[in-house]
Amino acid sequence: MLANAVVAPPSLCAGHSQLSNQLLFPYKPNYGLMRARRKQKVSPLKAGFWDSIRSGFLKNNGTQVIEPPSTLPEEEEEPMPQEIVLVERTQPDGTLEQVIFSSGGDVDVYDLQALCDKVGWPRRPLSKVAAALKNSYMVATLHSIRKSPQREGNDQKELIGMARATSDHAFNATIWDVLIDPRYQGQGLGKALIEQLIRALLQRDIGNITLFADSQVIDFYRNLGFEPDPEGIKGMFWYPRY
Amino acid sequence: MLLHGIASTHPPSSIHLLRSQNHNYNLKLTVSASSASQIPSSSKTKLMKFSISDKELESRGFLLKHSMEGLNLDHLNRVFVAVGFPRRDPEKIRVALENTDTLLWMEYSKTQRPVAFARATGDGVFNAIIWDVVVDPSFQGIGLGKAVMERLLEELLQKGISNIALYSEPRVLGFYRALGFAADPGGIRGMVYYLKKRK
Repeated sequence: MLANAVVAPPSLCAGHSQLSNQLLFPYKPNYGLMRARRKQKVSPLKAGFWDSIRSGFLKNNGTQVIEPPSTLPEEEEEPMPQEIVLVERTQPDGTLEQVIFSSGGDVDVYDLQALCDKVGWPRRPLSKVAAALKNSYMVATLHSIRKSPQREGNDQKELIGMARATSDHAFNATIWDVLIDPRYQGQGLGKALIEQLIRALLQRDIGNITLFADSQVIDFYRNLGFEPDPEGIKGMFWYPRY
Repeated sequence: MLLHGIASTHPPSSIHLLRSQNHNYNLKLTVSASSASQIPSSSKTKLMKFSISDKELESRGFLLKHSMEGLNLDHLNRVFVAVGFPRRDPEKIRVALENTDTLLWMEYSKTQRPVAFARATGDGVFNAIIWDVVVDPSFQGIGLGKAVMERLLEELLQKGISNIALYSEPRVLGFYRALGFAADPGGIRGMVYYLKKRK
Protein backbone atom coordinates (compact mmCIF):
# COMPACT_ATOMS: atom_id res chain seq x y z
CA MET A 1 0.00 0.00 0.00
CA LEU A 2 3.03 2.22 -0.07
CA ALA A 3 1.94 3.12 -3.57
CA ASN A 4 -0.02 5.79 -1.80
CA ALA A 5 3.22 7.40 -0.76
CA VAL A 6 4.45 7.56 -4.29
CA VAL A 7 3.85 10.94 -5.75
CA ALA A 8 3.45 9.82 -9.30
CA PRO A 9 2.58 6.36 -10.56
CA PRO A 10 4.97 4.67 -12.95
CA SER A 11 2.61 5.34 -15.80
CA LEU A 12 2.77 9.10 -15.48
CA CYS A 13 4.56 10.27 -18.56
CA ALA A 14 7.67 12.32 -18.00
CA GLY A 15 6.36 14.63 -20.68
CA HIS A 16 8.30 14.74 -23.90
CA SER A 17 5.95 17.27 -25.32
CA GLN A 18 5.76 20.46 -23.39
CA LEU A 19 2.48 22.05 -24.11
CA SER A 20 2.62 25.58 -22.89
CA ASN A 21 0.76 26.14 -19.68
CA GLN A 22 0.01 29.72 -20.55
CA LEU A 23 -3.33 31.03 -19.48
CA LEU A 24 -5.64 30.75 -22.41
CA PHE A 25 -8.32 32.77 -20.80
CA PRO A 26 -9.96 32.55 -17.43
CA TYR A 27 -12.99 30.40 -17.74
CA LYS A 28 -16.23 30.66 -15.88
CA PRO A 29 -18.14 27.47 -16.55
CA ASN A 30 -21.84 27.28 -16.00
CA TYR A 31 -22.04 23.73 -14.84
CA GLY A 32 -21.10 24.27 -11.26
CA LEU A 33 -17.35 23.83 -11.16
CA MET A 34 -16.85 27.39 -10.10
CA ARG A 35 -16.41 27.90 -6.43
CA ALA A 36 -14.26 30.94 -6.16
CA ARG A 37 -15.51 34.41 -5.77
CA ARG A 38 -12.24 35.78 -6.98
CA LYS A 39 -11.81 38.09 -9.88
CA GLN A 40 -10.49 36.55 -13.01
CA LYS A 41 -7.96 38.23 -15.20
CA VAL A 42 -7.07 37.79 -18.79
CA SER A 43 -3.47 37.13 -19.67
CA PRO A 44 -1.88 37.59 -23.08
CA LEU A 45 -0.97 34.49 -25.00
CA LYS A 46 2.63 33.77 -25.72
CA ALA A 47 3.70 33.05 -29.28
CA GLY A 48 3.86 29.44 -30.23
CA PHE A 49 0.97 28.27 -28.16
CA TRP A 50 -1.68 28.53 -30.86
CA ASP A 51 0.57 26.65 -33.23
CA SER A 52 0.52 23.75 -30.88
CA ILE A 53 -3.22 23.36 -30.90
CA ARG A 54 -4.03 24.52 -34.42
CA SER A 55 -3.74 21.00 -35.73
CA GLY A 56 -6.73 20.04 -33.66
CA PHE A 57 -6.92 17.16 -31.28
CA LEU A 58 -3.38 16.02 -30.65
CA LYS A 59 -3.62 12.37 -29.84
CA ASN A 60 -0.37 11.09 -28.47
CA ASN A 61 1.58 13.55 -30.48
CA GLY A 62 4.56 13.34 -28.26
CA THR A 63 6.97 14.98 -30.63
CA GLN A 64 5.82 18.54 -30.25
CA VAL A 65 8.22 20.49 -28.11
CA ILE A 66 7.46 24.03 -27.15
CA GLU A 67 9.76 26.26 -25.19
CA PRO A 68 8.38 26.20 -21.69
CA PRO A 69 7.67 29.51 -20.05
CA SER A 70 9.44 30.60 -16.95
CA THR A 71 7.86 29.08 -13.89
CA LEU A 72 8.73 32.05 -11.71
CA PRO A 73 5.49 33.74 -10.82
CA GLU A 74 5.51 37.45 -11.37
CA GLU A 75 4.26 39.82 -8.74
CA GLU A 76 0.56 39.13 -8.84
CA GLU A 77 -1.53 41.67 -7.09
CA GLU A 78 -4.76 39.87 -7.74
CA PRO A 79 -5.30 36.34 -6.57
CA MET A 80 -5.06 33.63 -9.20
CA PRO A 81 -8.32 32.55 -10.78
CA GLN A 82 -9.34 29.22 -9.40
CA GLU A 83 -10.03 27.82 -12.82
CA ILE A 84 -7.76 28.06 -15.83
CA VAL A 85 -8.30 26.70 -19.31
CA LEU A 86 -5.08 24.95 -20.23
CA VAL A 87 -6.04 23.53 -23.58
CA GLU A 88 -8.77 24.17 -26.06
CA ARG A 89 -9.07 22.08 -29.15
CA THR A 90 -11.69 21.25 -31.72
CA GLN A 91 -12.14 17.69 -32.80
CA PRO A 92 -12.88 16.69 -36.39
CA ASP A 93 -16.55 16.11 -35.52
CA GLY A 94 -16.89 19.66 -34.26
CA THR A 95 -16.74 18.81 -30.59
CA LEU A 96 -14.95 21.42 -28.56
CA GLU A 97 -12.77 20.03 -25.83
CA GLN A 98 -11.30 22.05 -23.02
CA VAL A 99 -8.92 20.92 -20.35
CA ILE A 100 -9.43 22.96 -17.24
CA PHE A 101 -7.20 23.31 -14.23
CA SER A 102 -8.85 24.02 -10.91
CA SER A 103 -7.48 24.48 -7.44
CA GLY A 104 -10.92 24.61 -5.92
CA GLY A 105 -10.59 21.07 -4.77
CA ASP A 106 -14.01 19.81 -5.69
CA VAL A 107 -13.39 16.17 -6.40
CA ASP A 108 -15.96 13.44 -6.57
CA VAL A 109 -14.39 10.48 -4.81
CA TYR A 110 -15.99 8.06 -7.25
CA ASP A 111 -14.48 9.96 -10.18
CA LEU A 112 -11.14 9.88 -8.40
CA GLN A 113 -11.44 6.17 -7.80
CA ALA A 114 -12.13 5.61 -11.50
CA LEU A 115 -9.07 7.68 -12.34
CA CYS A 116 -6.91 5.74 -9.89
CA ASP A 117 -8.15 2.52 -11.47
CA LYS A 118 -7.06 3.80 -14.87
CA VAL A 119 -3.51 4.43 -13.74
CA GLY A 120 -3.41 1.14 -11.90
CA TRP A 121 -3.29 2.33 -8.32
CA PRO A 122 -4.64 0.06 -5.61
CA ARG A 123 -8.04 1.01 -4.27
CA ARG A 124 -8.38 2.74 -0.95
CA PRO A 125 -11.47 3.04 1.26
CA LEU A 126 -13.57 5.88 -0.11
CA SER A 127 -14.26 7.37 3.31
CA LYS A 128 -10.54 7.66 3.90
CA VAL A 129 -10.00 9.18 0.48
CA ALA A 130 -12.69 11.72 1.19
CA ALA A 131 -11.09 12.57 4.53
CA ALA A 132 -7.64 12.84 2.98
CA LEU A 133 -8.96 15.27 0.37
CA LYS A 134 -10.77 17.29 3.00
CA ASN A 135 -7.63 17.50 5.10
CA SER A 136 -5.45 18.54 2.19
CA TYR A 137 -4.41 22.15 1.95
CA MET A 138 -4.91 22.19 -1.77
CA VAL A 139 -6.45 19.80 -4.24
CA ALA A 140 -5.77 20.55 -7.87
CA THR A 141 -7.66 18.91 -10.68
CA LEU A 142 -7.72 18.68 -14.43
CA HIS A 143 -11.09 18.17 -16.02
CA SER A 144 -11.91 17.59 -19.64
CA ILE A 145 -15.04 19.38 -20.81
CA ARG A 146 -16.52 18.31 -24.09
CA LYS A 147 -19.12 20.43 -25.78
CA SER A 148 -20.84 19.02 -28.80
CA PRO A 149 -22.82 21.24 -31.17
CA GLN A 150 -25.44 18.49 -31.26
CA ARG A 151 -25.72 18.01 -27.52
CA GLU A 152 -26.66 21.59 -26.77
CA GLY A 153 -26.16 22.42 -23.10
CA ASN A 154 -25.12 18.87 -22.30
CA ASP A 155 -21.44 19.08 -21.64
CA GLN A 156 -19.40 16.03 -20.83
CA LYS A 157 -17.16 16.60 -17.87
CA GLU A 158 -14.48 14.14 -16.88
CA LEU A 159 -11.79 14.13 -14.23
CA ILE A 160 -8.52 13.46 -16.02
CA GLY A 161 -5.90 14.56 -13.55
CA MET A 162 -5.31 15.36 -9.92
CA ALA A 163 -2.62 16.40 -7.50
CA ARG A 164 -2.92 17.45 -3.91
CA ALA A 165 -0.76 19.09 -1.32
CA THR A 166 -0.73 18.95 2.45
CA SER A 167 0.68 21.90 4.33
CA ASP A 168 1.00 23.72 7.62
CA HIS A 169 -0.30 26.84 5.87
CA ALA A 170 2.88 28.73 6.66
CA PHE A 171 6.18 27.08 5.78
CA ASN A 172 5.97 23.68 4.16
CA ALA A 173 3.83 21.91 1.60
CA THR A 174 4.16 18.37 0.31
CA ILE A 175 2.67 17.21 -2.94
CA TRP A 176 1.03 13.78 -3.05
CA ASP A 177 -0.95 11.60 -5.41
CA VAL A 178 -0.13 13.10 -8.77
CA LEU A 179 -1.98 11.33 -11.52
CA ILE A 180 -3.00 11.91 -15.13
CA ASP A 181 -5.38 9.75 -17.13
CA PRO A 182 -3.21 7.60 -19.43
CA ARG A 183 -5.21 8.83 -22.45
CA TYR A 184 -4.07 12.36 -21.68
CA GLN A 185 -0.45 11.65 -20.85
CA GLY A 186 2.38 12.77 -23.06
CA GLN A 187 0.78 16.15 -23.75
CA GLY A 188 2.35 18.25 -21.06
CA LEU A 189 -0.73 18.23 -18.87
CA GLY A 190 1.04 16.72 -15.88
CA LYS A 191 3.60 19.45 -16.16
CA ALA A 192 0.90 22.10 -16.38
CA LEU A 193 -0.93 20.64 -13.41
CA ILE A 194 2.13 20.76 -11.19
CA GLU A 195 3.19 24.18 -12.44
CA GLN A 196 -0.19 25.64 -11.57
CA LEU A 197 -0.24 23.90 -8.22
CA ILE A 198 3.19 25.31 -7.42
CA ARG A 199 2.09 28.72 -8.54
CA ALA A 200 -0.93 28.59 -6.26
CA LEU A 201 1.22 27.50 -3.33
CA LEU A 202 3.81 30.20 -3.89
CA GLN A 203 1.08 32.77 -4.11
CA ARG A 204 0.03 31.75 -0.63
CA ASP A 205 3.60 32.29 0.48
CA ILE A 206 4.36 28.64 1.16
CA GLY A 207 8.08 28.73 0.62
CA ASN A 208 9.07 25.11 1.02
CA ILE A 209 7.43 22.84 -1.55
CA THR A 210 8.44 19.20 -1.34
CA LEU A 211 7.48 15.82 -2.68
CA PHE A 212 8.68 12.22 -2.85
CA ALA A 213 9.25 10.89 -6.32
CA ASP A 214 9.46 7.39 -7.71
CA SER A 215 12.74 6.85 -9.52
CA GLN A 216 10.98 6.87 -12.90
CA VAL A 217 9.61 10.36 -12.42
CA ILE A 218 12.57 12.10 -10.84
CA ASP A 219 13.48 13.72 -14.16
CA PHE A 220 9.89 14.82 -14.67
CA TYR A 221 10.07 16.77 -11.43
CA ARG A 222 13.60 17.98 -12.10
CA ASN A 223 12.29 19.63 -15.23
CA LEU A 224 9.68 21.34 -13.12
CA GLY A 225 12.22 22.85 -10.78
CA PHE A 226 12.58 20.22 -8.11
CA GLU A 227 15.92 19.03 -6.82
CA PRO A 228 16.56 15.66 -5.19
CA ASP A 229 18.48 15.56 -1.92
CA PRO A 230 19.31 19.26 -1.74
CA GLU A 231 22.40 19.76 0.39
CA GLY A 232 22.40 16.03 1.03
CA ILE A 233 19.07 16.12 2.82
CA LYS A 234 17.44 12.72 2.36
CA GLY A 235 13.82 11.70 2.28
CA MET A 236 13.16 8.92 4.77
CA PHE A 237 10.17 6.70 5.44
CA TRP A 238 9.26 4.80 8.58
CA TYR A 239 9.41 1.04 8.00
CA PRO A 240 8.46 1.25 4.33
CA ARG A 241 6.93 -1.83 2.79
CA TYR A 242 9.66 -2.40 0.27
CA MET B 1 17.32 27.10 2.35
CA LEU B 2 17.23 24.49 5.02
CA LEU B 3 14.50 21.97 5.43
CA HIS B 4 13.41 21.80 8.96
CA GLY B 5 12.75 18.11 9.40
CA ILE B 6 16.01 17.59 11.20
CA ALA B 7 17.06 16.63 14.66
CA SER B 8 19.85 18.16 16.59
CA THR B 9 20.41 15.34 19.05
CA HIS B 10 23.55 13.33 18.79
CA PRO B 11 23.00 9.89 17.29
CA PRO B 12 22.61 7.19 19.94
CA SER B 13 25.71 5.17 20.68
CA SER B 14 24.10 1.88 19.71
CA ILE B 15 22.42 1.74 16.36
CA HIS B 16 19.81 -1.00 16.12
CA LEU B 17 19.32 -2.85 12.91
CA LEU B 18 15.91 -2.37 11.36
CA ARG B 19 15.00 -6.02 11.75
CA SER B 20 15.56 -6.16 15.47
CA GLN B 21 13.01 -3.44 15.99
CA ASN B 22 10.21 -5.30 14.28
CA HIS B 23 8.86 -6.59 17.55
CA ASN B 24 8.39 -3.06 18.80
CA TYR B 25 5.35 -2.33 16.75
CA ASN B 26 2.37 -3.96 15.16
CA LEU B 27 1.52 -2.80 11.67
CA LYS B 28 -1.84 -4.53 11.61
CA LEU B 29 -3.66 -1.62 13.12
CA THR B 30 -7.12 -2.15 14.44
CA VAL B 31 -7.57 1.50 15.30
CA SER B 32 -10.11 3.10 13.04
CA ALA B 33 -8.65 5.95 11.08
CA SER B 34 -11.87 7.85 11.33
CA SER B 35 -11.36 8.39 15.02
CA ALA B 36 -9.22 11.45 14.83
CA SER B 37 -9.94 12.33 18.42
CA GLN B 38 -7.07 12.79 20.80
CA ILE B 39 -7.49 9.72 22.96
CA PRO B 40 -4.62 9.54 25.42
CA SER B 41 -2.24 6.76 24.56
CA SER B 42 -2.55 5.18 27.98
CA SER B 43 -6.09 4.06 27.27
CA LYS B 44 -5.10 2.18 24.11
CA THR B 45 -2.65 -0.58 23.44
CA LYS B 46 0.69 1.03 22.80
CA LEU B 47 2.11 0.34 19.40
CA MET B 48 5.58 1.68 20.08
CA LYS B 49 8.01 0.67 22.73
CA PHE B 50 9.38 3.72 24.50
CA SER B 51 13.05 3.75 25.42
CA ILE B 52 12.32 6.03 28.36
CA SER B 53 8.96 6.03 30.12
CA ASP B 54 6.84 9.11 30.73
CA LYS B 55 7.39 8.58 34.46
CA GLU B 56 11.13 8.43 34.09
CA LEU B 57 11.12 11.65 32.08
CA GLU B 58 8.92 13.35 34.59
CA SER B 59 11.18 12.31 37.46
CA ARG B 60 14.00 14.04 35.66
CA GLY B 61 11.94 17.18 35.25
CA PHE B 62 10.75 16.78 31.70
CA LEU B 63 7.02 17.21 31.17
CA LEU B 64 5.47 15.88 27.98
CA LYS B 65 2.97 18.07 26.18
CA HIS B 66 0.76 17.04 23.30
CA SER B 67 -0.65 20.37 22.23
CA MET B 68 0.27 23.99 21.64
CA GLU B 69 -1.31 25.01 24.91
CA GLY B 70 1.20 26.64 27.17
CA LEU B 71 3.91 26.70 24.54
CA ASN B 72 5.72 29.99 24.42
CA LEU B 73 6.54 30.50 20.77
CA ASP B 74 9.36 32.92 21.45
CA HIS B 75 11.03 30.31 23.64
CA LEU B 76 10.44 27.69 20.97
CA ASN B 77 11.91 30.03 18.39
CA ARG B 78 14.98 30.38 20.54
CA VAL B 79 15.47 26.64 20.51
CA PHE B 80 15.06 26.62 16.72
CA VAL B 81 17.68 29.30 16.37
CA ALA B 82 19.98 27.59 18.87
CA VAL B 83 20.08 24.47 16.71
CA GLY B 84 20.73 26.44 13.55
CA PHE B 85 17.38 27.12 11.96
CA PRO B 86 16.94 30.53 10.39
CA ARG B 87 14.93 32.78 12.65
CA ARG B 88 11.29 32.65 11.62
CA ASP B 89 8.45 35.03 12.30
CA PRO B 90 6.77 33.81 15.52
CA GLU B 91 3.35 34.64 14.10
CA LYS B 92 4.04 32.43 11.14
CA ILE B 93 5.18 29.74 13.52
CA ARG B 94 1.85 30.12 15.28
CA VAL B 95 -0.03 29.62 12.02
CA ALA B 96 2.10 26.60 11.23
CA LEU B 97 1.46 25.01 14.60
CA GLU B 98 -2.24 25.78 14.51
CA ASN B 99 -2.36 23.90 11.23
CA THR B 100 -0.36 20.97 12.45
CA ASP B 101 -2.36 17.91 13.44
CA THR B 102 0.19 16.26 15.66
CA LEU B 103 2.82 17.87 17.79
CA LEU B 104 4.77 17.04 20.87
CA TRP B 105 7.10 18.97 23.09
CA MET B 106 8.87 18.70 26.39
CA GLU B 107 8.91 21.35 29.04
CA TYR B 108 11.75 21.46 31.48
CA SER B 109 10.01 22.00 34.81
CA LYS B 110 12.82 24.01 36.36
CA THR B 111 12.78 26.68 33.66
CA GLN B 112 9.28 26.04 32.33
CA ARG B 113 10.71 26.31 28.86
CA PRO B 114 10.48 24.00 25.89
CA VAL B 115 13.58 21.89 25.43
CA ALA B 116 12.41 19.42 22.81
CA PHE B 117 9.88 19.58 20.01
CA ALA B 118 8.58 17.73 16.98
CA ARG B 119 5.51 17.99 14.80
CA ALA B 120 3.85 16.21 11.90
CA THR B 121 1.63 17.53 9.15
CA GLY B 122 -0.40 15.49 6.71
CA ASP B 123 -3.84 14.53 5.56
CA GLY B 124 -4.73 12.79 8.78
CA VAL B 125 -5.43 9.48 7.06
CA PHE B 126 -2.69 8.25 4.78
CA ASN B 127 0.43 10.39 4.97
CA ALA B 128 2.33 12.34 7.59
CA ILE B 129 5.55 14.33 7.35
CA ILE B 130 7.58 15.13 10.42
CA TRP B 131 9.11 18.60 10.70
CA ASP B 132 11.07 20.74 13.13
CA VAL B 133 12.54 18.01 15.30
CA VAL B 134 14.71 19.85 17.80
CA VAL B 135 16.35 19.44 21.17
CA ASP B 136 17.87 22.40 22.98
CA PRO B 137 21.65 22.01 22.67
CA SER B 138 22.01 22.09 26.46
CA PHE B 139 19.80 19.00 26.70
CA GLN B 140 21.09 16.94 23.81
CA GLY B 141 22.58 13.52 24.19
CA ILE B 142 20.30 12.23 26.93
CA GLY B 143 17.58 10.67 24.79
CA LEU B 144 15.05 13.49 24.60
CA GLY B 145 14.99 13.58 20.81
CA LYS B 146 14.39 9.86 20.70
CA ALA B 147 11.67 10.15 23.35
CA VAL B 148 9.86 12.88 21.44
CA MET B 149 10.12 10.99 18.16
CA GLU B 150 8.87 7.73 19.66
CA ARG B 151 5.82 9.45 21.08
CA LEU B 152 5.12 11.34 17.87
CA LEU B 153 5.26 8.06 15.96
CA GLU B 154 2.97 6.46 18.54
CA GLU B 155 0.39 9.21 18.07
CA LEU B 156 0.53 8.92 14.30
CA LEU B 157 0.20 5.16 14.42
CA GLN B 158 -2.72 5.44 16.83
CA LYS B 159 -4.41 7.69 14.29
CA GLY B 160 -3.98 4.96 11.73
CA ILE B 161 -1.35 6.76 9.71
CA SER B 162 1.37 4.39 8.64
CA ASN B 163 3.01 6.31 5.83
CA ILE B 164 5.33 8.53 7.84
CA ALA B 165 8.08 10.48 6.17
CA LEU B 166 10.59 13.17 6.91
CA TYR B 167 13.60 14.98 5.46
CA SER B 168 16.83 14.35 7.27
CA GLU B 169 20.05 16.30 7.27
CA PRO B 170 23.00 14.05 6.45
CA ARG B 171 24.47 14.13 9.96
CA VAL B 172 21.35 12.76 11.65
CA LEU B 173 20.50 9.98 9.23
CA GLY B 174 21.69 7.49 11.83
CA PHE B 175 19.41 8.95 14.47
CA TYR B 176 16.39 8.38 12.27
CA ARG B 177 17.58 5.01 11.06
CA ALA B 178 17.72 3.84 14.66
CA LEU B 179 14.09 4.85 15.00
CA GLY B 180 13.08 2.77 12.02
CA PHE B 181 13.36 5.21 9.16
CA ALA B 182 14.90 4.21 5.84
CA ALA B 183 16.27 6.59 3.23
CA ASP B 184 15.15 6.37 -0.39
CA PRO B 185 13.14 3.17 -0.02
CA GLY B 186 12.63 1.51 -3.37
CA GLY B 187 14.42 4.39 -5.03
CA ILE B 188 11.94 7.05 -3.92
CA ARG B 189 13.74 10.38 -3.55
CA GLY B 190 12.78 13.41 -1.55
CA MET B 191 12.70 16.49 -3.78
CA VAL B 192 12.42 20.18 -3.06
CA TYR B 193 11.31 23.03 -5.30
CA TYR B 194 14.10 25.55 -5.70
CA LEU B 195 12.93 27.97 -8.38
CA LYS B 196 10.91 30.18 -6.11
CA LYS B 197 11.67 33.85 -6.15
CA ARG B 198 13.67 35.04 -3.17
CA LYS B 199 12.23 38.14 -1.53
